[in-house]
This record gives sequence, structure tokens and C-alpha cells, in this order.
Amino acid sequence: MSDRLTGGTGTSLIGGTEARSSRSLPVLLIPIAAVGAALALVPLWLGDSRVLMSVAVLGLAFACYTIGFNLIFGSTGQLFLCVGALAGIGGYGAAILADTVGLPIVVSILVATLAATFTGGLLSFVAVRRSLGVIFTGIVTLIFSLSFEALVLGLSNLTGGDTGRLIDAGADTFLRDRTQAYYLMLALVLIFLLVHGLLRRSHIGWAFRALRDDEVAAELAGVDVARYRVYAALVGAAMLGLAGSTYAFTEGRMSPTTFGFGEVDVVVLVMLAFGGIGALFGPVLGAVVFTVLDEVLLEFGQLRVVVYGVLIIALFLWMPRGVIPTVASLWGRVRGLEGSGAAKSPDSAAGNLEAVSGESQSAE
Amino acid sequence: MLEVKGFSAGYQGNDVVHDVAFHVAPGEAVMIIGSNGAGKTTLFRAMCGLLSPSSGRVLFDGDDITGMPAERIARLGLRFVSAERHLFPRMTVQENLLLGAYPHRPDPETMSVVLDLFPRLAERRRQHAGTMSGGEQQMLAVGRALMSKLRLLVLDEPSTGLAPLLAQAAYEALGVLRKRGLTVLVAEQQVPLAMAFSDRGYVLENGFIRLQGTTEELAANPGIRRAYLGVT
Amino acid sequence: MTANILDGIVLGLQFGLLAAGLTLVYGLGGVLNLAYGQMAVVAAITVSLAMDAGLPVVPAVGVGLLVGGLFGLLLDVTLLRPVYRRRGEARVLLSLLLTLGVSFVVDGFLIWRYPLKALTLHIGGGAVELLGVPMRRGSLVASAITLVTFAGLFVFFRYTSLGRAVRSVIEDEEGARLVGIDPKRMLRLILVLSGVLAGLVAVTRSMVSPVDVQSGLSITVFALIVTVVGGLGSVAGALLAGIILGIVNVVAADLIGSYISLIILLGAAAVTILIRPAGLLGVKE
Repeated sequence: MSDRLTGGTGTSLIGGTEARSSRSLPVLLIPIAAVGAALALVPLWLGDSRVLMSVAVLGLAFACYTIGFNLIFGSTGQLFLCVGALAGIGGYGAAILADTVGLPIVVSILVATLAATFTGGLLSFVAVRRSLGVIFTGIVTLIFSLSFEALVLGLSNLTGGDTGRLIDAGADTFLRDRTQAYYLMLALVLIFLLVHGLLRRSHIGWAFRALRDDEVAAELAGVDVARYRVYAALVGAAMLGLAGSTYAFTEGRMSPTTFGFGEVDVVVLVMLAFGGIGALFGPVLGAVVFTVLDEVLLEFGQLRVVVYGVLIIALFLWMPRGVIPTVASLWGRVRGLEGSGAAKSPDSAAGNLEAVSGESQSAE
Repeated sequence: MLEVKGFSAGYQGNDVVHDVAFHVAPGEAVMIIGSNGAGKTTLFRAMCGLLSPSSGRVLFDGDDITGMPAERIARLGLRFVSAERHLFPRMTVQENLLLGAYPHRPDPETMSVVLDLFPRLAERRRQHAGTMSGGEQQMLAVGRALMSKLRLLVLDEPSTGLAPLLAQAAYEALGVLRKRGLTVLVAEQQVPLAMAFSDRGYVLENGFIRLQGTTEELAANPGIRRAYLGVT
Repeated sequence: MTANILDGIVLGLQFGLLAAGLTLVYGLGGVLNLAYGQMAVVAAITVSLAMDAGLPVVPAVGVGLLVGGLFGLLLDVTLLRPVYRRRGEARVLLSLLLTLGVSFVVDGFLIWRYPLKALTLHIGGGAVELLGVPMRRGSLVASAITLVTFAGLFVFFRYTSLGRAVRSVIEDEEGARLVGIDPKRMLRLILVLSGVLAGLVAVTRSMVSPVDVQSGLSITVFALIVTVVGGLGSVAGALLAGIILGIVNVVAADLIGSYISLIILLGAAAVTILIRPAGLLGVKE
């Protein structure tokens, strides 16, 4: 089980595999730079169409959200169904701070991000304290999501309620320029990837892997499961808050659907499941594929949703680890290496999704 | 009645029980003895359909029941009373017993036979099974099995969690059933109890059948006496 | 205030019956059916379409309930193998994800095909006075049907051998297998039943206010809230929690506001999970 795809080169590209095979920074930086370079070309191609560029910016925002979710769920198995809400705390928070309270944009973003970070950490802390399993964590965070939506709808003087609000702050700045907004969000994506990648290589990442593979064993080995779960939630929530608030300023407006459960969380879940839960570049792959897919299918209106439903079902039945890990293990098998596709893959999320990924267990 | 051949079973690819073979004839009381971890529970669970065996055959009155799911085997008249008993805690004694007869209509006569055999159960008819003591639960588990068209009763360590007197009482009840013609297969850690009850036995050690014979033969065996009967 | 409480009970009875379907499926099969709201909506839309086609109310409702049950059967036949192969949390997680996908497929299709459809059943006749409060006939008929259904469920689970068999699987699945009960078959039965119950709730709800094509998700959310508070696997719990939450909902909405009352309901579920995960009458694991 220990020797996975060794030999460094393919390791971080494929993602999700034991990164301890090479500690050198370039191995992490190169693929990230490559992805960055590839995505940087997009405005050259789409730059003229304001609509398409908006879609692209949103796609990058979702990539950010998904990286955050990947960190929380993929690394430590906490099913946080409140991605939209945490991003919304960032978005609505920053907007209110900038417009209503009058703080400078950067400060607003900072404070809102801190609020989101704190909330994420709090949710994780409570879940850990009460030993909530995956399902109950999911339900509690779902409840939080729905409550946040209801709150947004209820406090309509601040939030604009159902119709949403515009953001005046930053209206004349570079933020509203589609192309510059794109590069700003792209920078966030790359930074988040870097942070995630660095975390994985650190002792924190080691702890994550340990507690994901076998929580009891990790505890016995001295890993404070609770603490690392909260760490993951803090960092992930920070990413969500930062992405949400930044995105809000580039858009200039928001409504409950910008950060709603159905609009954000479900999409993020599918993106990550597709790209690969736990894989470093999974979120990017998922975000790109589904943003493009959504655009292509736009003319079909509601039937799009049917396609997503079918995709969710197909994904979780046949490729629950996502594209990147599945491809990685297939590739490994082709190369005749040991351990590929083995039962305990650290690519999948907490034990449960591992069990979901095709392990048939006889009674007990 | 029951024939097991070349039977191996385990968890996630690792066999715990290896190439086990034994048989039980109608009317017999047969024991499988061994210490903790010998594989008795795994053997029974795999035999009775709660676990998939990796190899071997189980024949019940000539019918091949290898790998059949537990619910089907139970309907054929082979009732397994596991060490955990698996009663229905929030249902009454009465309801637990009635369920034993599933899917057939509960026979009032059988019910009264069971309640005669276990008067304590009759007293606590309307009590929830989960609130009863260990001894009562064991009685209920056996009683529940008796409600069916039982042909073979398989028990995994019926003495589990019972004080010595209660364990003895349990075996006495089984003895009464035996006299009425019931065929019984029992796995037991407490060897003296099993020996007092059974005609024949097999010794399971580390997943292998090491020894077999009549109870007298086994009781006389010096190795057995040392290991299981505390005789030096 | 009395009016609010009575309205709350009317709503609460429906909450309870709705949750009963969801909680049975979870308690018995460890399956969390997130497509539950869509089951109700499909039944409602079917009734509406049947009535459009000229069928009188009662047969139309029958068709709707049948379709609800068939939806359950369909779920069972498709979910059966992959979900049943897992155990415990893995099973819940997979069922949650798969049914989420199903909910999308159904929602997407219905909203695309019948974007404006809704079901409304008018129960004619004037208001009836109850405890000094004029109640709409629709509310009373709906409540009566719900109560009768609960009574039926009670009799079924208590006094029939099939009902006992179902309960036994909820109590101890392995024990049930050991007495010859096939949990898979029981789950199939309960899934069909839950579909019928969902349809029934949709139909009775439409006597009070319209049930439209978009309500799928909110129905599922309410069912989930009541299920969590009542206790996973307990029909009595669903009834109790339903009535309590129904009253809370109406009273809070009247006194404070509808968004806040939703937050209160959500909060109640969250508090239950945090303080007493077994719910009001659920099994303490």
C-alpha cells in the first residue's frame, strides 16, 4: 500500500497521491503554473463577449469554492453542505460593510472573510464536539445553509431580500472589468491551489490523510482529530469567504440565488465528485467541465437539470472517486505498478465515501 | 441432517475458518468447542447465511444451502440463535415470539408449549424484550426459534453473558428439547456445559477442526482435559 | 390564538404524515430519500393531469397515489443493489446522493414540461365552526383523512403480522433475517408505502393551498426537519414532532414573520441533532 505512483513526475499532476515522494517545491509549482498558464489564455479567446467572460469568471469562482470544499470534505471528511452560505457570508458581508458601513473594499473583504472563517470553524468545532457523523454534519450544515438563505430573504433592508442588491463600492474600479476580474479570480484559484498543495505536504496534510484513512488509528497515533478537522474547516471557510466576497465585488450585484444551496452547494458537490474528491486539481477540472457544460446546455433550459441529475447518479454509481483518481489508478495499472486502484485509496474522502466507491461488504 | 464439507470462510479475503467438515444427524446434539477466537462464530455465521463462505458446501437434508441468504435458510427450518441474540428490543415478548413463526401463522399450541417450557416468559408476555435480563433474553431467543417449523437449532455460545446457574438452566432447557426430539448444534466456549449436553463434538482451534468424537472420547482425551477442562 | 393553534394542528398533521414516509424508509433501510418531495409533487401533478383529462376527483386521486407508489417501487428497483451492498453511513451517504440525482431528474423534467402546473382541490361548502373558530372545509377534510391514515398505519404496525415484520426489521435487521424476514422485500414495501403517503399528503395539502411543481425541495426539507425532530424510524415521533412544529410554524409566522418561523423550525432540527440526536421518540443507538 505504501508505494504508489512513485517517481515524482506524475505525482502532483494526478493529484491525490502521497506527496511525500518529493518535497521539492517545483513539483508542486510547475503543474499549478501550467494550469494557470492554460487558463490565462481564456480571455484571449473569449475576451470580446461580456456574457461569456462573466460565465468564465463565475466558473473560476466555483473553482475557488470547490477547492475550499475539497479541503474541508476531501481532506477531513466533513460534509459541509453550506459552501454557498459561507461564501455568502463573505459576499453579503463584504457588500454590506463596504456600502452600508462604508469601509474600504479591502477591509470589507478581510472582515467578511474572517466572519466566514470563524463560522466555518465554529460549525466544525460543534460537529466535532458532538461527535456528529457525516450524515448529521451534512444535515446540520444544510440547516445552516437554509437558515442563511432565510435570513438573507428576511433582512431585506440590508440584503435586498428576494431581488438582491447592487454593490456600489468598487463600481468604477478594475474590479468590474471582466477581463481583469477574470485574472483576479484566476490568481485566487492559483493561490488556493498552492495553499492546498502546501498543506498536503506539511505535517498537517499528513494528519489529514491519517484521520481520513482510519480515524481511530489516527487518534491512537496521537493525531488530535478534532483539532485538524477544525483547521481544515478554518482554512476552507476562509477560502470560501474570500472567494465569495471577491466575486461579489467583481459582479457588482448579488441575490439569494448567488449563494443558495441549490445553486452553489449542489454544483460544487458535482464538480468535486467529477474532478476527484481529494485530488488537488479535481476542483479545477470539475469547474471547467461543468461551466462549459452548463453553457453548452443553456438552450435546453430546465432540461439541463435533468442532465445534471443523470450525471450525479452515474458519477456516484460508477466513478465515485472522480475522474482524476480513477484515471490515475487506471494509468497506474497500465504501467503495472503496485497499489493502484487498491482498496484504501487516500484519494477518496473520509472512509464513508471510500466505502461508497464500490466496496461491497458482506454482512458485517 | 446437516452436512458441512471443505468449508472455509472469513472477512475481506482472509479466511478465519479453514476446510471445516462436520455433520449432524437427526435427533443428535452436537457441539463445536474451542476457545475465544477459534472461529466458531465465523463458522456459524457463514453456515447460516450471514456471511459468504469462500469455499465448501453446506447441505441441509440433502439441499445445498451454501451461500444462501440468512432469511431463506431460516425459512427452511434451520434457526440460528447468535450470541447477541438479536431480539427486537422495543417489541414485547409476545410479539417477539409471534415473529418467530414468520411467515407462517403462529400456532397457538406451539406458543403454549414454549411458554410452558419457559414460564418466566409467560409471566413477562407484555414486557419489552430490551428490558429483560440476560437469562430471560436467552430463553426468549430460543423460544422465538421454537415458534417456527424448526428442524435444526443452531446456537452460538448460549452461555454468553449468563451467570453459571443461568447458563446451566439454559442447557437444561435445551436438554428437555432434545428429549422431545429436537436436533441441536451448539458452539460453546464453556466446555463442561456443552459436554454435559451433547452426544458428539468437534474441537475447533485456529479455524481448523483438530479433533472429533463422542463426548466420552473427547472427555477422556488428555489434550482436551488440559486445555479445556483445567485438568493438569 | 386558538385559530393559529388549530391551523397549526392542521398543518402539523400533514407534516407528521409526510415525515412518516421518510422516517420509515430511513428507520428500516437506512436510506435517506432526498427525492421524497418529488414523489409528492409527481403524485400531485398526476392527479391534476388526470382531472384535466376528465377523470372525477376520487379516481384521479387514486391514480395519483398509484403513481406515487410506483415511484417508490422504481426507486427500490434501481437503488436496490448498489445501496444495499453498503452498510451504515456509507449506505445513507450513497442513498442521499443517488436520490439527490433523482430529485434533479424529476424536478428538471416536471418544471420543463409543466412549468405552471399546480394541484388544487376545492372542497365545497361553507366554513365549519370548531371551538369558536371558522375552519375551512378543506382543512377539516384534509385533517380527517390524515388522522384516518395514521389510525390505519397504527393498526397495520400493531396488529398485522406484516406490520410486525416491518417493525422487526427496524428494530434489528439481523434478527429479522434470522427469523426468515427478508429486509429487502420489507424495504420495497415501505418505499412503495412512502410514495403513497407522499402522494396522500400532497393531495390533502392541495385542499388547503396549491401544491405546485416547484415545491419538491421545500417538501423534502420540511419532511426532513420533522423526521429529525421526531426521531428516525418512529412514526409516532413523526406525528408528535409534526404537530408541535406545525403549531410553532403557524404561531411564529403570525407573530414574527414567515422567514423567521422557517429559521425557528430549522433551528429546532439543529438543536435536536446537537442535543438529542435520537429525536423525540427515536431509538437511542
